[in-house]
Amino acid sequence: MRAALDGLYKACAWLAALGMIGVLVMVLMSILGRQFGFYLPGTDAYAGYLMAAAGFFSLAYALRRGDHIRVTVLLNTIAPIARHRLERVTLGIAALLGVLFAWFSIRLVVQSLEFHDISTGNDATPLWIPQLSMAIGVTIFAIALLDDWIAELRGTRQSGGDTPQRVE
Amino acid sequence: MSGMSELLITVTLIVALFGLLGMGVWIGLALAGVAWISMELFSSRSAGDAMAVTIWGSSSSWTLTALPLFLWMGEILFRTRLSEDMFRGLAPWMNLLPGRLLHTNVVGCAIFAAVSGSSAATVATIGKMTLPELGRRGYPEDMTIGTLAGAGTLGLLIPPSIIMIVYGVAADVSIAQLFMAGVLPGVMLAALFMGYIVVWSLLHPNRIPAADPGLSFVDRVKASASLIPVMLLIGGVLGSIYAGIATATEAAAVGVVGALILAAFQRSLSWKTFVESLLGATCLYCMIALILAGAAFLTLSMGYIGLPRDLAEWIATMGLSKWQLLAVLTVFYVVLGCFLDGISMVVLTMGVVMPTVQAAGVDLVWFGIYIVLVVEMAQITPPVGFNLFVLQGMTGKEMPYLARVTVPMFLLMVVALVLLYQIPEIATWLPQQMRKA
Repeated sequence: MRAALDGLYKACAWLAALGMIGVLVMVLMSILGRQFGFYLPGTDAYAGYLMAAAGFFSLAYALRRGDHIRVTVLLNTIAPIARHRLERVTLGIAALLGVLFAWFSIRLVVQSLEFHDISTGNDATPLWIPQLSMAIGVTIFAIALLDDWIAELRGTRQSGGDTPQRVE
Repeated sequence: MSGMSELLITVTLIVALFGLLGMGVWIGLALAGVAWISMELFSSRSAGDAMAVTIWGSSSSWTLTALPLFLWMGEILFRTRLSEDMFRGLAPWMNLLPGRLLHTNVVGCAIFAAVSGSSAATVATIGKMTLPELGRRGYPEDMTIGTLAGAGTLGLLIPPSIIMIVYGVAADVSIAQLFMAGVLPGVMLAALFMGYIVVWSLLHPNRIPAADPGLSFVDRVKASASLIPVMLLIGGVLGSIYAGIATATEAAAVGVVGALILAAFQRSLSWKTFVESLLGATCLYCMIALILAGAAFLTLSMGYIGLPRDLAEWIATMGLSKWQLLAVLTVFYVVLGCFLDGISMVVLTMGVVMPTVQAAGVDLVWFGIYIVLVVEMAQITPPVGFNLFVLQGMTGKEMPYLARVTVPMFLLMVVALVLLYQIPEIATWLPQQMRKA
């Protein structure tokens, strides 16, 4: 189970990395297109969709790596027992928010499909396709948060929750 | 809304926000949680659907595509020999100044800031070289670490700058103009840091080790050749913007390609370093994206309940003068910076602060530079100061020590703020020239 979940998070991170490369390719295409006079419609919009994919697909993996920022001043100052109690509540709230976020992200895809929502840009993409990245990425993020919460309740939590070393 | 219920709403939201943040809920989720509460309690629209649409819209907007790309560029450059080369090129010249190699921190950070958009990446990349080299030569540790922490903040002020992109998008200000506006204040701040090093070393002559063996002028010029790669990179990124080849958003892609070419030339590009830089940048971006997503939803729900407008009106009734308003904001941001990182601070407060600042007649480009300077100050104040986190990881020193050695740099930044207020042209002159051209 552990290995399967970690594999899932990692696989998603690879998809996110591909999204990142995709952003680079799309932006380069629009620069080159302008310089050499060929026109590829929708590179701006595609770069945006791929950026969204890069962000959403890596949510769970970044959580496991301890990359997401949280304020740990209080958690680090209180006694270990109190810390564990607080972590249970905190992770419970985080998991609840993650599940809500995932539920409404899936609902957004369903609604876009039902109403045939199409991008207003010149790419004219049916929006449910790029929105899938949010639905899937956030769902797996919610799973990772639940995973963390359950581990904390069982007393087996290991993933780093402390402040990351480098940002901005 | 009546005065009473308004007060109730404000208090509820602030308590909820600080409660969730203080408990240690991840910042982006905490912002979304507060937004959710306020929409459910104080408006009739379905919170969940509004959240999904808003977050999708902000996360997939092409205007922010420079952000992940600049992060990726920083991750690639960190894994090249760029910082060694820069040190070798700068050291022979810096030996001539009082304070000698301490200046490599400031000049190195200022130059690297022109390719990097982030202050933590600047500290990490320059410090990787200067910390061991200066330590080996016996430079005083407190000055080495202090000047590095201070100078690293130039990464945000000298373009390109991640935080300016975030501000530009949030405040609807031209990013190219913001980049231009940051140049002179960045140079001024670097000059202040260097001036401080000169004065300090004249006062403590016995604490500065002897110069490296003297080089002839010709040798110095030869050594400077190792600065060529970084100069080419600066030329590529900023040149592509101002030559009209790429927009400010697209220049980041030029930077990534340039960094990859540089890494390939230096033979530091392997499959392993490529993958590491790619995954590192993706996770870093993801961290920021989660905060931006939460902030986008919070901004929407604040707009629904009209809080920013009410707050702006309330501040307007206090009749603060422009400098009083800015002084209050400065204290507010520095205090906020004790708990939040720079990007969270900017996106969280823009919705509320913008209407007030606009009403007070403050130039939005100037205000962007002001915000960046204040955020920089927050980067070197504990307990949440990212430059300090980076230095903690690199030096193994305790936070109180790091905070103490950076105090002079903090004070110099206050001086820079006052200068920027007294002479606004430091920020606004260059963009004005650009608009005329």
